Order: sequence, then C-alpha cells, then structure tokens
Amino acid sequence: MAERLKPVNVVTVGVGMTGGIMGKELAAAGLKVVGLERGPMRDTVPDFQSPAAHDELRFAIRKALMQDNVKEAVTCRNSSDQTALPMRRWQGFLPGTGLGGALVHWNGQTYRFQPADFTYKTHLEQRYGKSFVDPELTIQDWGVSYEELEPHYDRFEYLCGTSGKAGNLNGKIQPGGNPHEGFRSREYPTRPMKEPYYGALFRKGAESLGYHPFPQPASTLSQPYTNPEGLKLQQCVFCGFCERFACEHFAKASPQTIVLPAALKNPNYELRTGCQVLRVNLDSTGKNATGVTYVDAAGREFEQPADLVLITAYALNNVRMLLNSRIGKPYDPSTGEGVVGRNYAYQTVSGATVFYDDTVNINPFMASGSSGTVIDEFSVDNFDHGPHKFIGGAYVGAIMTNGRPIEFHPTPPGTPAWGLGWKQAVAQHYNHSVVLTVHGSSHPTRRNYLDLDPTYKDAWGLPLLRVTFDFPDNDIRMSKFVTDKAAEIGRAMGGKIVAAAPRTRPWTTTVYQTTHNTGGAVMGSDPKTSVVNRYLQCWDVPNVFVVGASAYPHNSSYNPTDTLGALSYWALDAIKSKYLKSPGPLVQA
Amino acid sequence: MRRIGRLIAAAATVAIAVLGVAPSASAQDSKRPADVKHGGAIAGQGTATAPGCDQCHAVESTADGGGGFPRLAGQSAYYLEQQLHDFASSQRASAIMSPIAKPLSADDMADVAAYYASKNDPFQPLASAGTALLREGEQLARVGKAAKDIQACNSCHGPDGAGIPPAIPYLAGQYAQYIASQLHSWRRGFRKSSPESMALVAKDLDDREIAAVAAFYQQARNAAAGASASK
Repeated sequence: MAERLKPVNVVTVGVGMTGGIMGKELAAAGLKVVGLERGPMRDTVPDFQSPAAHDELRFAIRKALMQDNVKEAVTCRNSSDQTALPMRRWQGFLPGTGLGGALVHWNGQTYRFQPADFTYKTHLEQRYGKSFVDPELTIQDWGVSYEELEPHYDRFEYLCGTSGKAGNLNGKIQPGGNPHEGFRSREYPTRPMKEPYYGALFRKGAESLGYHPFPQPASTLSQPYTNPEGLKLQQCVFCGFCERFACEHFAKASPQTIVLPAALKNPNYELRTGCQVLRVNLDSTGKNATGVTYVDAAGREFEQPADLVLITAYALNNVRMLLNSRIGKPYDPSTGEGVVGRNYAYQTVSGATVFYDDTVNINPFMASGSSGTVIDEFSVDNFDHGPHKFIGGAYVGAIMTNGRPIEFHPTPPGTPAWGLGWKQAVAQHYNHSVVLTVHGSSHPTRRNYLDLDPTYKDAWGLPLLRVTFDFPDNDIRMSKFVTDKAAEIGRAMGGKIVAAAPRTRPWTTTVYQTTHNTGGAVMGSDPKTSVVNRYLQCWDVPNVFVVGASAYPHNSSYNPTDTLGALSYWALDAIKSKYLKSPGPLVQA
Repeated sequence: MRRIGRLIAAAATVAIAVLGVAPSASAQDSKRPADVKHGGAIAGQGTATAPGCDQCHAVESTADGGGGFPRLAGQSAYYLEQQLHDFASSQRASAIMSPIAKPLSADDMADVAAYYASKNDPFQPLASAGTALLREGEQLARVGKAAKDIQACNSCHGPDGAGIPPAIPYLAGQYAQYIASQLHSWRRGFRKSSPESMALVAKDLDDREIAAVAAFYQQARNAAAGASASK
C-alpha cells in the first residue's frame, strides 16, 4: 500500500530541462514544489570530472547516461501489421535519465523553429493551395505563433548563454547570421564559437554556390557568461566529448549549470531522485488529478498529492505516462480518432561525406557538440516547394561533433567492412574527411503513432511504449532533394570523393540517427486533434500540463531543444499569470 | 606508433584552437628537423648573443628548485618553442627572457626546445606544503571549485598535471613558485599568451587558490612516484 505524503502545490514528473526550469520558477512564485527524478543525483562536481568523463566506451558505446532499458525499454516496429520488439540496446535513439535529463548529454545545438512552422497547415495551403500537401500527412497549426514565442525563445537562450550570430534583428537582416530565421528581439547572449577548419571549408563551398553560411547556434559557450539566474558558465575547450557525455568544464548549458542551483537554493523546492513515477492519479470524475504515485530507490511506494501535476519527462515517456494514467483518448490508427499517441514524428537525418587527400588535415577531434557552419536555404519553407512533390526541408552543415577513436571511421563507398582493407582506409581517411549533416523535418502520418505495447512490460509491471513508424514518402523525397544539394556543396568544397547517403526506408532502430522523437501529446486548438491546448494544458485534465517535445504537431528541420525551452517559458507564463489566479481550463474547448 | 603520433598531433591542434596560439612556428610544420645536438650546445654554451640556458635553468635542466626558473626537462618541444617566440614578441613579457629570446633564430629556438624536450632528467624531491593547502590544491586540480564555477585544471592539463603534449604543458613536478608567478602574471596581464583560457582562469583565482594549486602540482610527481613505489 502506498504511503500517502504531505500534499504539495506542484509536482514535476522528471527533473531535466523542462522540470528544472518549471520547478525553479514555480518555487520562486511561492509554491511548494517537489521534483521527482527517476535517475540518480549527479552534478558537474564530482560526477562529470576528468579523466573518467572522457570514456568513449562507457558513455558513447555502453551509453552510461541513458535510460536503463533493462528496467524500461521501448518497443518498435515499422507498421501495424508487424510485432514490435523491445530495444535491448539503445542505438537508433538515446533517451537520457538522471538529474538534468538529456540536457546533460546533448550537443547544445540551439535552433529556433521558423514562423511558418507554427501555422504550418495554413501557411502551406495559402502558398501552394489546398491540394498540394500529401493527404497522408496529418499536419496542423500549433495554436501558438512565433511572435508569441519570441520573448520566450529569447529568455531560454539567455538562460543557456547561447553562442551565435543573429541573422534577423527585429526584421532587419544582419550580415553573417542566418538570413532565413524568424526575427530576434536582440543579439545572442554570446558571440559565435570559433569556426573549425571543416566549417571554414564548408563556408567556402557554400558561398561559391550562392548560399549564406552562418555559425551554428551553440549552447556550448564561446566565452564565459553569467546567466540571469546568476550562474556562471565557462568557455568550451573543444574537447570533442559532448554528445553522450556530460561536460566537466561548466561550458555546456545543462540544468546543473543554468538553473538547478537556483532551484535547490529555494526552500520551496524539494528534489527527490531515484523516484520512478508510475502514474498520475485522477479523482473519481477523471477530470482532476490528485497527484502522482511513485516508487523510490528502495522499492517503497508513495502517493504524492499535488494541486498541479507537470509531466516533464522525455517526449516518449510523457506519452507513456498519459497512457498509463488513462489521461486522454488513445489514438486509433484504424479510425484516425483519439489523440494520445497521434502525430508521432521523428527527424529525417541524412548526410554526405567529403573525402580529401592527405594534404587537407581536418582534425575532427577538435570539436564541440555544436561548433560548425550551416546553411538554411533548404529548411522548412525557405525555398519554393512548388516544383517539388514534398513539403519540409533540412539544414545542411559541417557540424562534426568529434573524432573519437572507437566510432569515428569515415570510409568511402566500396571500402571493405572489416579486415586489413578497412583498417587501411580508416587510417587513410580519418583526418581528411568532412561529414555534412542534412537535418530534416519529419511529418506525422495517420499510420505512424505511439501506443502501449500489448506484450512487454517494465520492471514495475507497466506496459512499455510501442513506436510504430516508418518514413513517409514525402520525407524520403525531401531527404533525397536536400542530400543532393549537400553533395553539390561537398564537391564545391573540393572533395576528391563525395558520398551522399539520403535517408532510405525502412526506419531501423539499430543505427543511430537522432534522439529527436516528437509528438504523441500534441498541442493545438481543437481537442479532437490535440492532447494539450496552446498552453500545454491537458484538455481532459486541466491541472495536468504536459511539457515536452511530445507537444510538437510535426517536427521541423531543426533540433527541437530551443523550441521546447521557449514553450516551457510560454506555458509557465500562462500558469503564473492565469492558471494560478483561477485554476481551470485556460482555453474553452 | 603511427596512431599514437596522430593522437598527439590531435591534442596539439585542439590546444592551438583553444589557446589561440599562432601555429606558424610549430615544430611540426617546420620542414627542417630540429637539431637536438645544436640545441644542447645552445643550452650549455649559449650563442653569440645569448647566455647558455643551463646557467639559470641549471644543471641537468631541472633548475634549482628555487622557483624563479622553471624546470624544462621533458616539457614538449612544441610548447617550449612557442614560449620562446612569445618571449621574443613580448606576447609573454619577461625582463629576463625577452632579451634572450629576441636574437635567437627560429631554428635556434626549435633546436633548443627539442633539446630540452628530449631530456629525461629525474624529478628532485621537493619540499611539500602543509596538508591543508595541498588538499585545497588537489581539489582545484582535480575537480575545480564548483562554488565559483572554476573548472578543474586537470581537465586540460591531464591527470594530475601530466600535460597533454604537445601544446599543453605538464605541471606535475613544476616548481610551485614558478606556477604561482605565472598565474599572477596572467591575472595582472603581463602574460598575454593564452588570453582566452589561462588569462580567464587566472582571473577567477584568488591568492590562496593560486598558492594551493601551485603547491599541489609541485609535489604531484613525488606523490605519483611514492604511490607506484609502494605498490
């Protein structure tokens, strides 16, 4: 029997980026907040220190910072007629766990979505007509506009200290920045990171084709910075151990460096680690949450009553929490009805590798998770899709994150997969190759969705989440188009061999692509096609907010974190200025 | 061996980018191989314009432990050569070293740097500071100081200051007084090399922290040697 604890005002399910930000802000607003984190306590000191922090085998291969999939896995399949199997080893994507969540091991790439993303359906219909978009795609408007989110993007970037160069300041295009971006109300908080050699080569090639390269916006900082919480970050030293690793250097924006110390100082805020939340509890009406039930590290079960429940876990786990708590109507692909699990999307990532001879030394190990140079000409709707049979796009860039010995082995096509020939090719090309990334949008379809697995359960006896996904034709066409453009840039960069690899079907979970899983609890203005309203508040249970990339109705061309930071502050604003004064639905259905 | 060479080259380039050091004078880029023997002659006897280095940096290139003159033996050639260029250009201003370095040719610098890098002289036992100061220095070296968001010195200088050659010098076994004097130089703007990392780090340190971290690294070799001897 669960022990019932003293009620609090707010509980967050997960203490990563969103849980950390929201917990800190609501505690500062005078509420009693409990942050429940299933993983361990960890901090820059002592947990992230060298030399142990730079262990490629432990962190990159064995994925020490990721969700324990012996206890809690995800099952995957390509279509509804297949049987999904659990991922026994994280490969295709890597859900994090532990205090600070995925923002501990992220790369720091900090892109805003485009204004057109937020009014996606309307925008595309206005520009191309109603019959242009493949009817298979279930895209929709987000219910919030870029103009509304801009101050919150700004706030998140200033929290992180993001390094970059503005391309559009209040509508005025700025040289050196991204001319295609939505307007910014002010410059980035810190100057761009230094351009690595691979970035400089890319810049030259891209400029020769008439594109506008710009430094990738990075939350691995270019200089020391003190954020509005009074927390000081240091300068990145390009150590090449960012993604899958924690930063020992106070240089990467992570909850531990940007917000948690401020939360933990507040006596209103209580952090409990090692606490696995099983479900959000509802009262007999099913329209009001009473708190959550969790199991602590010693296996004891507790009920934590709370007035307000914020589901702030990883996107996939947010959806699973809703389904296991029976909040919202589960999506049914056969009828297209229901909302929880609907509009799951991924990220359509591909690439092209540019091989030079040994006169060009790339030194790929000299990298941060988000250093590099990119172009935005082929993202979202920055080019005329009229002649093409697809929507969406991708940014293209030389954004190599590392040259670590176990996994970084670029070899040209035709190289043997093992043995002496492979070894010789690796030795020949290791320091003379530039990998171009094509980071593409992902569109929801009726047949791609999330639900509970009928067979497999976690260590606490609850059903695992099942992902049913394959790349839509639209996204495959997009990937081919933009990857070809990347290959053209590769040739303009002077590569001796350029090997383009557009995304192909089927989706496989055995090769790492990206951890950008989105959707499944999407936002919108119609309860029939969204789980949460424009403030990320559950339509069905108004004292539950679901804050995560699970809210994205589609996934754009960009890395999702910045937009999630903006949405967190946007939702917080609504909670503080509206909900707390008058608890209840913020939008009438 | 080829692989090791490549990794070392890797570390060098990382450090170049980080420290903002102009790589123009790199021994690696130089077509002419360094002449260690000629370097040894300069160290012992000097040139027409410069006294022999050993006169101050002492016999067996380990210096006298007084701390005014750093130990050079076994330091990376790349790093030492870069310092000579910096002394010559007064990027690293020194009343003693700048006039000595200025008349040296680029080849002389490369040779004498290669000579000291090739030396494998033993580390002399040195006096150890009090336990409290050493503990504080050990903390700074290994994990930094979270309260001030100061990163660990070892993050760049390698495990207990072993160095990450060629660009990042070893600190382990270097004289405390020398380490402290350099941190103070950065803090006060005399040493202008490495403006984007060491100058910033040094500004975050107070006098006691500088003394502590310097004391720790001075005895880091003794401690390591003691540990391996006791095994």
